[in-house]
Amino acid sequence: MAREVDPVHPRNDHDPKVSRRDFIGRAAVATAAVVGAAVVGGAIVRTRGEEQLWDEDAFRPPGQARVAVVPRTSYTGNLTGVVLDGLRAIGADVSGARVLLKPNLVEYDPGSVINTDPRLVAATVEAVRRLGGASVSVAEGPGHRRDTTYVMRASGLMEALHNVDAQFIDLNVAPATPVGLRSRYTPLGTLWIPHAVRDADVVISMPKMKTHHWAGVTLSLKNCFGCLPGRVYGWPKNALHWVGIDNAIVDVAGAVRPSYAIIDGIVGMEGNGPIDGTPKQMGILVFGDDPVAADTTAATMMGFDPTRVTYLAEAARFLGQGDPEQILQVGEDPSAHVSPFQPAPGTETVVSAGSF
Amino acid sequence: MDGAASEAESTAFVALAFGDAGAQGWLERSQSPDGSVGITVGSVVRDASALGALALAPGAARERALDRVVLVSGRNGPDPAVTHFGWPWTDDTHGWTEPTAWGLLARRTLRPTASDRIADALAMFRERECVGGGWNYGSRETLGVDLRPYVQTTAMALLALGDVEPALVDRGVAELERSWRSEIEGMLSTASAACALDVFGSPHAGAARDAVATMTRDGAPDTVAASWAAFALSEGGPWHER
Repeated sequence: MAREVDPVHPRNDHDPKVSRRDFIGRAAVATAAVVGAAVVGGAIVRTRGEEQLWDEDAFRPPGQARVAVVPRTSYTGNLTGVVLDGLRAIGADVSGARVLLKPNLVEYDPGSVINTDPRLVAATVEAVRRLGGASVSVAEGPGHRRDTTYVMRASGLMEALHNVDAQFIDLNVAPATPVGLRSRYTPLGTLWIPHAVRDADVVISMPKMKTHHWAGVTLSLKNCFGCLPGRVYGWPKNALHWVGIDNAIVDVAGAVRPSYAIIDGIVGMEGNGPIDGTPKQMGILVFGDDPVAADTTAATMMGFDPTRVTYLAEAARFLGQGDPEQILQVGEDPSAHVSPFQPAPGTETVVSAGSF
Repeated sequence: MDGAASEAESTAFVALAFGDAGAQGWLERSQSPDGSVGITVGSVVRDASALGALALAPGAARERALDRVVLVSGRNGPDPAVTHFGWPWTDDTHGWTEPTAWGLLARRTLRPTASDRIADALAMFRERECVGGGWNYGSRETLGVDLRPYVQTTAMALLALGDVEPALVDRGVAELERSWRSEIEGMLSTASAACALDVFGSPHAGAARDAVATMTRDGAPDTVAASWAAFALSEGGPWHER
């Protein structure tokens, strides 16, 4: 029997803009039909790597991905041009699309490098416009602070977006809708997804390149946590930790389904990330048409073994491409830019024994 | 306009801050038979019964909400530094500063006989107090690194504590007086600070309230921030004698 393959995955899509919305829209309809009777309650008994915990008709088998590693040592100068080059290199198609940029904006601490740099976010707004995006907005639901306005202003993101006349959407308070999960790594069953995320044709996940004291690394997949509204999940979104952070990352990323990734590795964070680590001058941006492939590449450049990053290994089974042989490097050779990060305490097992 | 359905927490804020009878009625109608008000999304239960109890009119619905507040509790993992429970954002997760503050405030002001839960909440605030005073979202330290307090959560905890635990309160007020201007860009933070500084008779209260008045000329970012601004400007709120 021919398998119905969901056309949502942007890497293989002819029209990722429509299919991504369709995916979440169908899930929302399905949720409405079964709400209250979903897979809630007891834990799912499973063995990772053996049981299939996702719906085959919802996720196309990962194909070849395109990743571009672009050297960049500063946030000043023509950053828009660099982002344009990166997006073009991976074949990003945003023409006529409603594009949502999802930076990482957790918290503000002067002197630290917790967040995606606002200048990179503003440059990406301009790059998307030049590539013909119908609209571009920036959205985030900060995970520690309820006062998003404070974090926006203190971090400089509000001013940066004002300078490029871009709209910001606070996902912690924006209208949201229940969406049924098509993967079952957690017992969450249904997530509240903001309309702004649901209705975007293209979501670009823009994380900071950081270590994470529970997950090993936090990159474009983990960044999807910020799409869930704090008014439901709290500050912090602790419900996502209690179901197992690795499991939650896979399920949430599988619901959000970012189309592309732009990883801010100009200055990353090493050691006790994602909040209390130290700045790491990495000097790169990583672009990907497949967030799993982008994260796999970035983690490797950080000196970690992506197959030992639990959620990344699981995501590579169905969400995107984790096989280096299937990741077409269209930028600089990533092996030339490996610069090991000090791992977060307790996550030393993710350190790689080798390299690319 | 991207319409959205009413939600329990924001409706409770509107009922409290603006004396909105319609909001109060909505809360009562949406209350579950077990007394809870909140949102259930898949396996996640976001319980807002404490805030709901404060917002509901005196009567059976409020009492049912208070019954529910007693039953909801934080859940602890293996961390030996976290021994008290408080109230969680969502069922079966850790207790955190803001929901514990609402739980404590509801119990302390509306049903003070629930001494066990009140004692637990006070102990949690002692346990999670940041070095030097005040609170953040609810963690004193992470992997040996002391975490700094936030204005909004420090204010929230102080309003819940009221006149109990004087030493804890004194440190918290001092921290708030030191830090509130550093987060003045946020209406929610500044309005929360203004409320707490006012309640504790701080000389900073007037300046904080003036800052809120200035900010509100441009509107408010969301319902919760608008409600806090209303509390600050009216010198009202459920922490006052009822």
